[in-house]
Amino acid sequence: MAVRSIIQYPDPLLKTVCAPVAEADADLDALVQDLIDTMVEAGHSVGVAAPQIGVCKRVAVVDVSKSKMGRENNHGLLVMINPHIVEQEGRETLREGCMSVPDYTGNVTRAENIVLQFRDREGREKVIRASGFEAVAIQHELDHLDGLLFLDRVSSVKTDVFRRKR
Amino acid sequence: MNHFALTIIGRDRPGIVAQVTESLYRLGCNIADSSCSILGGQFAMILIISHPEFTGRESFGDAFLPLEESNLSVFLRTLKPGGEKHAGIAGEICMISVYGSDQPGIVYRVARELGERRVNITDLNTKLVGSDERPVYVMMLEAVLPADLCIEELTEIMKNLEKEVQIDISVRSITPIEL
Repeated sequence: MAVRSIIQYPDPLLKTVCAPVAEADADLDALVQDLIDTMVEAGHSVGVAAPQIGVCKRVAVVDVSKSKMGRENNHGLLVMINPHIVEQEGRETLREGCMSVPDYTGNVTRAENIVLQFRDREGREKVIRASGFEAVAIQHELDHLDGLLFLDRVSSVKTDVFRRKR
Repeated sequence: MNHFALTIIGRDRPGIVAQVTESLYRLGCNIADSSCSILGGQFAMILIISHPEFTGRESFGDAFLPLEESNLSVFLRTLKPGGEKHAGIAGEICMISVYGSDQPGIVYRVARELGERRVNITDLNTKLVGSDERPVYVMMLEAVLPADLCIEELTEIMKNLEKEVQIDISVRSITPIEL
């Protein structure tokens, strides 16, 4: 139960592939609570991944229900342990920023619809369908678990438009 | 640290960036911001550079002479203190796509509407595409809206211009989301 500080690149932890969580225990629950507290404290944030607070484990939280873009279509607070994307389809591009890479934003193209499998805070296996902004936020946080930043996925509209012509 | 704006343009070929940045590296210059792109057959580099001691054009001596001798045009502007920092204009960011049959004045007509309403253009690209018989003009621009103008109003303004100039325009918000 603590707001943790967000670590920023070039901390090597942000480029590390995180380990799966084996057992649900008190430590895991405390980590989940820290992630939630940290996300809520950073008022503008819609998600935090464990490596962003210095823990190299496959755990992330997302909640887009309070944001303008996600208000209409969301699953509320998602606690995702060992999450992975089972299926994806569609493409949409959004200008993303990241608390771990301040002062820089870029256009990122991600899947529009995803099917996600994960373990929740209570240890239940879950499968959900997410779409739109929530799907984008989930994909952004899941990338952190694989040591990827949005910088690894940036595409610019300009390049897209002009490349088709050639 | 003194800052300078450096622009370099020349017929595109492999090795321009290496040649330019080697000169800057040997001078002890830092590259802060830069944007380089190919326009037509020309490669254009725009860089904000800094140096701990250099104070003006003369500090660079004839360091850029080899670049000029290899057919690159070099222009250096000495920035006033603080000139390297952007004005920090906050506001909603939008992307405006403009396209239509090529005709004179497309850029000007759109830019005039924006300028009159204090919309700040932060990025602008244009390209002539399509066939020789039916050329199509494409313009993509990013702009920051002033506090007293919302995206719906701007969309309405652009709708009117669409009819008047016979072009297609779309406006959408691209204000970044922090994740």
